[in-house]
Amino acid sequence: MNAIVVLVIGALGIGLGYGWYARRIDRDIVQPDPKKATPAKMYMDGVDFTPASRNVLFGYQFKSIAALGPIGGPIVAAQWGWLPALLWIILGTFFIGWVQDYASIIVPMRSEGDTFGALSYKLISPRARSILLIFIYLYLLLIMGAFGQVIGVLFLSKPAVPFGILSVILMGLLAGQMTYKWKQDIILTTVITVVVAFFGIWLGQTGFISGIFEGLNNALGAGGVKIFWPIVTMIICYLGAVLPIWRWAQPTNYVSFWIIALGMLGGVIGMIIWHPSFGDFPAFTGWSVAGLGPLWPILFVTIACGAISGWHSLVSSSGTARQIEKETDALPVGGGAMFMEMALGVISLLTATAATGGWDAFKEVYASGKFGVFAVGLAAFLSHIGIPTSFGVPYGMVFLTIMGLTIMYLVVRFMRVASAEFLGDTIPALKNIHVGAIVALILSLIVIWTGVWQTIWVLFGGANQMMASLALLIVTLWLMSQGKKYAWTLWPGVFMYVTTIAALGYTGIKALMAAFAGTKVTGNIIAGVVALALIACALILGYDGGKALMRKGEAVPAK
Amino acid sequence: MSGEEKGDGALKRFGRSAKEFLYGMAGHDMTRFALKTRGSMEHLFILITMGDLLGIPILPPYYSLRLLPYVVPQISTWKRRMLRERDLTDALA
Repeated sequence: MNAIVVLVIGALGIGLGYGWYARRIDRDIVQPDPKKATPAKMYMDGVDFTPASRNVLFGYQFKSIAALGPIGGPIVAAQWGWLPALLWIILGTFFIGWVQDYASIIVPMRSEGDTFGALSYKLISPRARSILLIFIYLYLLLIMGAFGQVIGVLFLSKPAVPFGILSVILMGLLAGQMTYKWKQDIILTTVITVVVAFFGIWLGQTGFISGIFEGLNNALGAGGVKIFWPIVTMIICYLGAVLPIWRWAQPTNYVSFWIIALGMLGGVIGMIIWHPSFGDFPAFTGWSVAGLGPLWPILFVTIACGAISGWHSLVSSSGTARQIEKETDALPVGGGAMFMEMALGVISLLTATAATGGWDAFKEVYASGKFGVFAVGLAAFLSHIGIPTSFGVPYGMVFLTIMGLTIMYLVVRFMRVASAEFLGDTIPALKNIHVGAIVALILSLIVIWTGVWQTIWVLFGGANQMMASLALLIVTLWLMSQGKKYAWTLWPGVFMYVTTIAALGYTGIKALMAAFAGTKVTGNIIAGVVALALIACALILGYDGGKALMRKGEAVPAK
Repeated sequence: MSGEEKGDGALKRFGRSAKEFLYGMAGHDMTRFALKTRGSMEHLFILITMGDLLGIPILPPYYSLRLLPYVVPQISTWKRRMLRERDLTDALA
């Protein structure tokens, strides 16, 4: 198999999925009316509700949904062979992924801009909102654990990486200062900060600078490295969560955007020039993979964001739906961004399969750090446009680190608000932003330090996909209440619900059994308990949702 | 689409779309945040000065009346925003 053939298959998936299936659903079932006033227009307040053009929103939506998920999942899932991973990325997006993202914009847009919390209260049951919020908190904790391990344990511990990250953050701070305080031109600010950030990444991999970090790592020892760098990651997240957004999170995200965008562009060009084959990389390795589990249900949660992701429903309903200018924009924004993320998932799969050059090479790189596969693959693609691999590999790692940090800032902010909301009356200290953030970060650190990465990743994927199935449940209920056809959301939702319950149950029980056998006791117990708590939340929501479906089904003839 | 936009060549339209897409990815969040900050400050100011409209008398009515003409254009959006039901998922917006 050749990388170009896979790209063509991906393009066909997008053409058929978006051009035929999605347009048909949009035209025949949802029937958007471009003349109908959207919440962004009706309730325009210049704060939450503000109309924006569809091109702007397409970029905004894509940037908000793309993080480590579509990159990490396909690489881990390549262990089942490239074919199951590719099929799930394309078919998952085709039948489920875009459906969820698009519908998560349509429903709040037609419900006066309500978020999923409010919609679950109205459409399912009063307790559904509370359960959903507990579920979301645990889900976000798993995001922190999974991303934190990747960044803290895998990347920052590599001597060539920390200086690059430091450069990007410092340039982000400078960008904030230049934009907001010195009122400098944005183009000048961008050129200076991005060029210096790239220079910093290059400087970081030179012998002198990487030697300093190597010396530090040697002084810390293997155990110390795994404690120290996650703490550094959490300190970065703490600053991102408590400092004013304009000072830290936003400008660093802005500089990061350029680092990521240029890397993606260079990688795709390099891949097209190179068009490598998969070598002896197997299409299918077997129904079960040691350490991960059986293909069903684990593959379907391992590849999360590249095929379908609950995170998207939160972003779509809370942010994008309130900015849609015309109802007809929902498909290109929600559906289009999801298909673009599918393309990112396919490219990530190619870094594991085509760029590594074969099965043995993949296993070797994978064993040294799962996400290192992406960095090595990206470096191989970039080498075909003249960028040396010695720079490309640390650049790939910086690329992934900042991609993860962008989401982690937001997650810690949310966890801080959530703890103040849930427990603020009982424990007033949690209303303090520093205390709330530190509590969230300590919980994250416990997960990072004690957890087994693959278990956390699968749990994160399971929670993510479960969130998606709950979003589809809400959408189905809304469609029923409107007397519209709902099979296109109901059956994908049921499939994801059953699959994720099975995946969470399998992983949770496996973790608890490992704990009882004396392996990583604390981490496995936490993983097992979190998995069971997520299942309990999902079952309650499923029970209430089922009752609501029955109620609506009696009121509206089934379709 | 305006008449001028319709008359534009495909290349120009593509260029404009690409520019907007890039802005959406890189800068839209920053703009939204600046607008949110300004909006929140203005709404806080209206709450302090016109709180009586929501049953929260903070400032003596004399001063509220003096400020009223300046605040009138924003009262409807302010009331909607203050009274809109919110939950935690709003924090993700």
